[in-house]
Amino acid sequence: MTKYENRRIPEGINVSEEHPLKEFLILAFGLGTITALVVLLLSLMAGWLVHFIPFSLEKSLATSSFSTNTSSDVVLTSEQLEIEGYLQLLANKLSAAQHLPEGMEVVVHYVDGDTVNAFATLGGNIIMYRGLIEALPHENALAMLLSHEIAHIKQRAPIISLGRGVAVGLALASISGFGDSSMSHQLIGNVGLLTSLTFSRHQEEQADIEALQTLENYYGHAQGAESLFEILSEGDYALKPPKLLSTHPITEERINRVRHFNGSHVGRASYKPLPKFLVNISQGLD
Amino acid sequence: MYLDLYIFAALLVLGFFFGRLAEKKHFKSIIEREKKYRQLLTFSGRLLPPDLDRADAELVGGNVVISIDYFKRIAAGLRSIVGGRVTTYESLLERARREAILRMKEAAIAKGATMVVNVKLETSSITKGKGQQIGCVEVYAYGTALSPILA
Repeated sequence: MTKYENRRIPEGINVSEEHPLKEFLILAFGLGTITALVVLLLSLMAGWLVHFIPFSLEKSLATSSFSTNTSSDVVLTSEQLEIEGYLQLLANKLSAAQHLPEGMEVVVHYVDGDTVNAFATLGGNIIMYRGLIEALPHENALAMLLSHEIAHIKQRAPIISLGRGVAVGLALASISGFGDSSMSHQLIGNVGLLTSLTFSRHQEEQADIEALQTLENYYGHAQGAESLFEILSEGDYALKPPKLLSTHPITEERINRVRHFNGSHVGRASYKPLPKFLVNISQGLD
Repeated sequence: MYLDLYIFAALLVLGFFFGRLAEKKHFKSIIEREKKYRQLLTFSGRLLPPDLDRADAELVGGNVVISIDYFKRIAAGLRSIVGGRVTTYESLLERARREAILRMKEAAIAKGATMVVNVKLETSSITKGKGQQIGCVEVYAYGTALSPILA
């Protein structure tokens, strides 16, 4: 029989000798950078385009959800109405001090809840939780809180973040749709999230600065503002996320900003106390 | 949200180390066994060598299923966005093909064969579940084993 043989086939024909991590890192960083750039660009565009949406339109978008909310679900007691009225009055004064543009107005909603929080949302609506208000030592800190939220309304932050959320979400869904693995979606999603968080952090910093300026206009000084951040850092916020992942600037930075802002004012200013009915809610509950 | 990130990173690292370890071990074993079974001749040709003595013919086959690891899946997912050689899958398929042939050879040797002709390979991906992910690959090698008839 003729001599046949199966010779040894050299290695490395079908398998790349390159280290798999090298390829992975190049791809991950490259695609991560592209994603970050896309999110950044879309976020900038959302912030720019929002100026073409009149505030009245934003308001009508929000009205439907708010009117049903307040009329059917929650009926405020007379005490709560008194608090809401007081908060609204203060908000109106602060809006004037912040030179809120014509046609833009703020509506404060008081929520009788333990949550240590307050936020601004579509249509100039500001939600204030009892939990945060009762922890505040004086009106100056409350004014800082309200001014911060009013500054968000002035920035049009709620509608910007809505538009940004939709645009960025769609873009990320389209980009990651090209991959055949849902896990690469996760990678892209996380990069997108981090990029947009950076954006909102910038907004928060701007709102802090604007709020301090408002206090300066209203009280003649911005002292006492740091009490708000001290309260926020003491509360249930003890579980602090790392800075990279946080929407709000970390508390020490915010307190430092207040101190820096107040640098020129050497004397200790007097704080305006909170009205009696607000003090009562906190003492009655403690 | 943070938990997601940590789990993702942990799975990636786990997948990389275990996957790489398994692959290295597998390739080592493949190379060793290929050397061991080299005397058993395999041909893809359908026709027998013309000067072959009378022999018994019998179907032999070897089958293997190998799963990809988490790292390979992510790397391939990223690669599928920009295109190009999916090197993480290439090594997987290479392992599967060679392992399947080795198992076929083992089956042939067990039957006392000296040669396998008409060797064919079939490939199919097994898992196509959520999101059409390819979870693991099957390779089946089969051929006609020829055992000399002892007079």
